[in-house]
Amino acid sequence: MNHVRIKLTIGAIALAVSVALLAFAGVRQGLVYFLPVDEFLADTSRHNDRVRLHGTVSDANFEANPSLLSAHFDLLGEAGGRIRVRYAGVLPDMFKAGNDVVVEGRLAEDGEFSADTLMTKCASKYESTDGQAPHADPRTAQGAQR
Amino acid sequence: MMSSIGEYSISLAVLTSVTGVFAALASARFASPGWLAAARWSICVTAAAFTSASVALALSFLRDDFSIAYVASYSERAMDLGYKIAAVWAGQEGSLLLWAWMLAILCTIAVIQCRKLKGTDAATTVGVLAAVCGFFAALLLFAANPFAATVDVIPNDGRGLNPQLQNPGMVLHPPLLFMGYAACAIPFAVLVGALVAARRDNHWLGPIRRWLLVAWLFLTAGILLGAWWAYVELGWGGYWAWDPVENASLLPWLTATALLHSIMVQQHRGMFKRWNACLLAATFILCIFGTYLTRSGVISSVHTFAPSLIGSFFLVFIIILCAGSAGLIGLRFRSLAPERRLEGVVSREGAFLLGNVVLTIIMLVVLIGTTFPILSGVVLAEPVTVKAEFYNRVVGPIAILLVGVMALAPVLFFGKTAASKIGRSLIVPGILAALVTGVCAAFGILSLWALVCIAIASIGTFAVIDNFVRSLWARRKSTGENWITAAMLLIDRNHRRYGGQLAHLGTMMIVVGIVGSSLYNSERIFQLRIGELAQLGDYSLTLQSLDEVNGGNYVAVQATVELREPDGTVSVLTPQKRLYNKWQDEFNTEVALRSTLRDDIYVVLAGWEAGGEVLAIQALVNPLVLWIWLGGFVMVGGCLFSLLPRLWPAGARATQPALPVPVRRQPEVALHPAIPQSAALPEVTT
Repeated sequence: MNHVRIKLTIGAIALAVSVALLAFAGVRQGLVYFLPVDEFLADTSRHNDRVRLHGTVSDANFEANPSLLSAHFDLLGEAGGRIRVRYAGVLPDMFKAGNDVVVEGRLAEDGEFSADTLMTKCASKYESTDGQAPHADPRTAQGAQR
Repeated sequence: MMSSIGEYSISLAVLTSVTGVFAALASARFASPGWLAAARWSICVTAAAFTSASVALALSFLRDDFSIAYVASYSERAMDLGYKIAAVWAGQEGSLLLWAWMLAILCTIAVIQCRKLKGTDAATTVGVLAAVCGFFAALLLFAANPFAATVDVIPNDGRGLNPQLQNPGMVLHPPLLFMGYAACAIPFAVLVGALVAARRDNHWLGPIRRWLLVAWLFLTAGILLGAWWAYVELGWGGYWAWDPVENASLLPWLTATALLHSIMVQQHRGMFKRWNACLLAATFILCIFGTYLTRSGVISSVHTFAPSLIGSFFLVFIIILCAGSAGLIGLRFRSLAPERRLEGVVSREGAFLLGNVVLTIIMLVVLIGTTFPILSGVVLAEPVTVKAEFYNRVVGPIAILLVGVMALAPVLFFGKTAASKIGRSLIVPGILAALVTGVCAAFGILSLWALVCIAIASIGTFAVIDNFVRSLWARRKSTGENWITAAMLLIDRNHRRYGGQLAHLGTMMIVVGIVGSSLYNSERIFQLRIGELAQLGDYSLTLQSLDEVNGGNYVAVQATVELREPDGTVSVLTPQKRLYNKWQDEFNTEVALRSTLRDDIYVVLAGWEAGGEVLAIQALVNPLVLWIWLGGFVMVGGCLFSLLPRLWPAGARATQPALPVPVRRQPEVALHPAIPQSAALPEVTT
């Protein structure tokens, strides 16, 4: 082991440790479970966590008020699950009944899902015939709301 | 008619590229220049075939030929000419055709450039290029045919282009990005050629570096244009959301940036050979992987993960590329041994090593984050997604370290440099940077992150200026030229050095822009009646009216907002919500933007109550965003400059008034003893 090698080894260890610490902090802050409505309803273990739910906005009981920046709607799962969602914030352009959305928040005590982030997934019309999304859609899914 | 021309052209491209592969193989096997020429010609014909297919598709768009399903899905009669052309690459099939076309054109340029070369390495390079073209041709023919006919009745009008894509950014962003992706294929092919032929010399690094610079130029421009498009079009006030599509373009950019630096160490010092080979292979594979991520719908449809034919094509190709590169590098592992060891940690190669490691770590973080929904779905059977916070927290600090290393670039030299010498050349930049940071702190910037970034950016900027002034001083002293001549000749003799430093300055500007806009932005949402006034920081907004505006293929609800600045200047902003004729069921936000070097005022019409009495206006103050776009121009300019050949030939000085003691090109030698003189010369020939 010459001098340079020792320095390099120390540097590498320092870098590895700091990256590991950063990754740990990032994982604690930046990871969130991503569940379909049905799974969330079936499994109570996530009912106290902050989660992202994915489902379709129901036509029935749909209330959206863009000027008051709020929406109240039912989110449907593929297997028929249903959860009431209340959301406060700017409504994305593609948010409307019948579209797929992702909401982030947690289950409130009154049994409604209280969301502070609402992201629209690509509407079926945007997809090409074989079910693949054109260029912009994945961006929009994230970009609609911070 | 057009569709058969297109389909025949793609079939022809499959044939010619396969011919090219076999001709190249034959040339390598029989050491035959004739076969190599045949392989080159087949690449040229492939390019011609892709050109004719692309032109056919573009003409179908211009002629509103809705008998082609792709045209019917992405175009409409009422659209502007420019957007009709942009619609060619709005969808999956067309964008893959564009990719293939750009690739074939660049391959043709490359094979024409190296037409004099022969031998196993040239044959292998041409063969690899033909194989990559062949992959895309086969993909277009079997899995993503843009000329497929409309299934049912031919519609009278098309479905129209997604309103979010009807933006000038969209016209240029994909071609730039695909050009960058495609350009990465050429250095990769040159590498494979050099590895197969077990070349021990360094001459093949020149073309690799130049093509990599070309790729980097287009990738940088493409990524920044994409960010700009997201900023002005998506209406959420930011420019980077760590979205899979954005990440996919960032991944090869990160490895290409690392490689651009470490390849210099290989050229000058014969080190990092194995690392560079891995990095170059990774860059190209990431380009293909990025296309796979964004084009096969893996990420956007996590829940309905149905392996599409396109996806399988890409997966097989990626596996072949990975296994092939790994095998080849393993086979040549001994001949890629470094010619010397690292002599000192505090040296240019030491800094390049650290920069490379940091860039690779960032790449891995982004790669893992992007594929996390898939990975966690497979491993944990429970999909977990990664939010933007994850990237910001992990990548942010590492990126600051990277910029810190970059700031020291002008004062580091190859080989052993005494730390005290570096310390001395940092005195002036250090003092100036401390002053700037102090002034910023005095003006109320107290966030630690911001101050660290300001200190780093200003030390880097001042180091570049200080270093330039010293070199200029030395040159003037030794040649007796006047300031302007000395400066121009100094820069012109060192395109690589000053091009690189210009790119670094651009990066500093972007850092300043990112820090300003992410730490000091503010957002307010107002509910206003017409005539009401709202206060946004130092600015006041007055809602003047709400009108209906008629565009070509849309109707818009437009709010007129008067913006009054602290100094009394008044400007009018008109955020809109557009309803495109072909997309009647959803509104499309059109952002109104007032942009200055100081800050952007970003106004979005969020919604209105039924009668249009009360409006919700979302307003953001984003400081320094313009610096990001300007920094992008500087970065691209620096890259372009280092690609340019020397502008004044060496003899140009003869036209200057006679000088008493014409000592030539001493200063560079005196200032940078470790750089061989040839390094200062830009390479002109291949």
